[in-house]
Amino acid sequence: MSVAEPAFALEVRGLSKHFGGVYAVEDCSFQAPLGQVTGLIGPNGAGKSTAIDLISGFKLPDAGTVIFKGRRLEGLPPHRISRLGLVRTFQAPREWPALTVLENVVMANWDAGRESFFQGVFGLGRAQREAATQELAKARRIISELGLDAVRNERAGSLSGGQKRLVEFARIRMAQPELVILDEPMGGVNPVMGERMAVAIEGFIASGTSVIVVEHNLPFIERVTQHVIVMAQGTVIAEGPFESLRSSQAVVDAYLGEVVGDASS
Amino acid sequence: MHEALLTLGFGIVTAAILALSAVAFTLEYGVTNVANVSHGEILTVSAYVAYLVHSRTGSAVAAAIGAAVAGGLVALAMYMSVIGPFIRFGASPTVVFIATLGISFMIQNFLVIGFGAENVAYTIDPGAPQHLGPFLLTPLDEQIVISAAAITLGLYVIVSRTKFGKALRAVSQNRELARVTGINATQVAAATFVLAGMIAGYAGFILAESVGTFNPYFGFSFFLITLTASVAGGLGKPFGTVAGAVMVGLILEFAGNYITASYNLAFAFAILAIVILVRPRGLFTNARRTVFE
Amino acid sequence: MSAYVVSVLTEGAIFGIMALGLNVIWGWSGDFDLAYYGYVAIGAYMTLVLTIGAPTPPAQYILGLQLPYPLAVVGAIATSMAVGLVVGLIALRHLRGIYFSIVTLGAVYVMYVMAGQYVPLVDGYNGLSGLFDPMGDWFGLDYQSYQYFFLGLSLVCFVLVFLFTARISGSRFGMALRTLREDERAAAAFGRDIYRLKLKGYVLGAGLAGFAGALFAAYLSAFNPSAWSPVEVIVLYSAVLVGGRGNIWGVALGVLIMGMLVQESTRFLPMLPGLGQLNTLHPQVLLALRGVVIGLVLVLFLRFRPQGLLPERRYVDREPVAPASMPAT
Repeated sequence: MSVAEPAFALEVRGLSKHFGGVYAVEDCSFQAPLGQVTGLIGPNGAGKSTAIDLISGFKLPDAGTVIFKGRRLEGLPPHRISRLGLVRTFQAPREWPALTVLENVVMANWDAGRESFFQGVFGLGRAQREAATQELAKARRIISELGLDAVRNERAGSLSGGQKRLVEFARIRMAQPELVILDEPMGGVNPVMGERMAVAIEGFIASGTSVIVVEHNLPFIERVTQHVIVMAQGTVIAEGPFESLRSSQAVVDAYLGEVVGDASS
Repeated sequence: MHEALLTLGFGIVTAAILALSAVAFTLEYGVTNVANVSHGEILTVSAYVAYLVHSRTGSAVAAAIGAAVAGGLVALAMYMSVIGPFIRFGASPTVVFIATLGISFMIQNFLVIGFGAENVAYTIDPGAPQHLGPFLLTPLDEQIVISAAAITLGLYVIVSRTKFGKALRAVSQNRELARVTGINATQVAAATFVLAGMIAGYAGFILAESVGTFNPYFGFSFFLITLTASVAGGLGKPFGTVAGAVMVGLILEFAGNYITASYNLAFAFAILAIVILVRPRGLFTNARRTVFE
Repeated sequence: MSAYVVSVLTEGAIFGIMALGLNVIWGWSGDFDLAYYGYVAIGAYMTLVLTIGAPTPPAQYILGLQLPYPLAVVGAIATSMAVGLVVGLIALRHLRGIYFSIVTLGAVYVMYVMAGQYVPLVDGYNGLSGLFDPMGDWFGLDYQSYQYFFLGLSLVCFVLVFLFTARISGSRFGMALRTLREDERAAAAFGRDIYRLKLKGYVLGAGLAGFAGALFAAYLSAFNPSAWSPVEVIVLYSAVLVGGRGNIWGVALGVLIMGMLVQESTRFLPMLPGLGQLNTLHPQVLLALRGVVIGLVLVLFLRFRPQGLLPERRYVDREPVAPASMPAT
């Protein structure tokens, strides 16, 4: 009988962070189910982005704990968290602009052995070269599946906003994390792309990656998520499937009159 | 104890000059987000102008005015010809920083062409040292401190009470937002440079006369200490800078009792490194950092 | 080949090594490091104190061994890397952009002052001298032949460093460095330990600087604060910028161009109308004019061609594309 498998993709308990006396995140707790797409919504200033930064190691929490794959993440630097299998995107697409799309995707894979200075000088052993070839093939395949073949050799910085988002998705597919947190992926993207993203997100789930999506675009949330968490003023005010939140007074209040499910942004 | 107070007195003079130079630098940084490495050259050029004016007219006041005017013009030229265009062109702060390094080098060489690289002696009789309370200062020292305080006060009034000052603060905080509210950021920046240049020019004049000699490189050396004071006080915050300058001036003066003057600069930089490491936003601001915060 | 040409080519090869090292830190990691020339100086000084033997009073300096030159070179590289590690540990932890540059400027200034003022270290302003024709006696070379020998040695070293950096450039390690330059947050989000990686790049660059410094010491047979002047430093950084940051061929081209500019400008500047008389007024004027030209070149390139003459090339994957995929818009 092995140690119990984690029931959740991610568990957050009592997470808090303040800036100069103002609490951006206060006693925030939630659980993201394994193998599902969980939405994280809330009005502007609710603390969603800060919460993501705290979870992924880009900011240090003042209190609280984050549990992922049975490990506590708080206090770990971002690269350690990433190596454990938790990858995140950012509100603005963060591709590596001077590198080509192919290079962007290949480099999404961190390989300690092949990236060392030693290997840089002395070259790769046969097993490593084999791994590198496989990796390159995988990258090309992913690029094809996401429809980015035409720009494979273009510098990522020259792409349109929607294309950059797809490159980010390609990177995620490449890295195959256990959990990916998408920070407002629909930002600055036209609705047609939204459907492709939804398909890509379903692809993540199919390949074993749980997903948390932070979004303002509520139809998109309705389309892709199985479970939604609502934050307001730094803490979680409601949780449940999207449908159930429509009628939640707390949620409606939080949006200050903006009816849940109406506006697209 | 007496020693300490004396040193404190000298330190205040150093701090006064440093404060002016640093405040000017901080003003430049505030409106453009650029660390102007050629800032020191404003002082150098002004010192040369002051010297020339003084030799022609024999008047220290005329020299001071000449220095301020020259400083304002040089700073304006820097903004209009290099810093402004680079910013409009969308260059990153580091790129403009390197460009100002290039300008600094060019100006130093121009001065060598014009005046030669040798030291120029610039002596004004400082008057006999008098006891002012526990301090031992010459009338020249007193003039320096008083004028520096007056200028700082005047600057405070301008920045906090005038319409221009408001515009300056708006542009310093958020250039884009300032534009949206109808402020012509470029004009404000240019005017700020003129103001900063005049202050720096005057600083160059009093630095030259208090040290007694200068050469084409003297502004650059002083710039390194200026940088320390500015960063210590908080880049972009003029009044934190004054506090930073006082602190650095005093530390240098006290340290000067124990280490020879030639290490002054190195010591200043050691201070700078420590400050940046501990509180990169400056000692007098709220700082909090991991590399990402 | 005249002695002048031999000397210029040798110096060019040494500067080429310096520039390639700077390219690792500035071109690939993306950090404008102002302490770099300090590592060159450390390499030079170290080489000297390891080869010129014990000091004769009133000269003072540390060590004062008489090791064979190649061993001294190794010592020089190790020392530069050690100092680079210390500076890097401090400066790369939290600082980026201008703050980083300013701290490294401080570091190099401290090095400069310590070398130039603290006499027991490397004899202060006098500096060190006496490294004549290292390894010349191994082959029994006379003065003339030695110049050719050293030129050959420098060129070989340059080619080796070039190949070395070419290898790094094309390796995954090199790509990882570039991801730091392009977007650090994304690099961290994908598993890169930014601090360690930058440190590795930084120490590597410092090591190359030390190597160049070791050769430089042999070339000059001496080193002192006047060999550490602003002109040299600005020319070095300009070479990397003008040629093409991130592209080793660009860097080599940049060294060639700036080298030519530096050498030839003193010859043709007086020929320009009106400037002919200046030379006779002050001896430094011509050098100062050259300084103005160099500064101008730097600023113009920053404004109009910041990527340099040979920008970093992108990798073009030639594998054929499988058909039938949705085109992205």
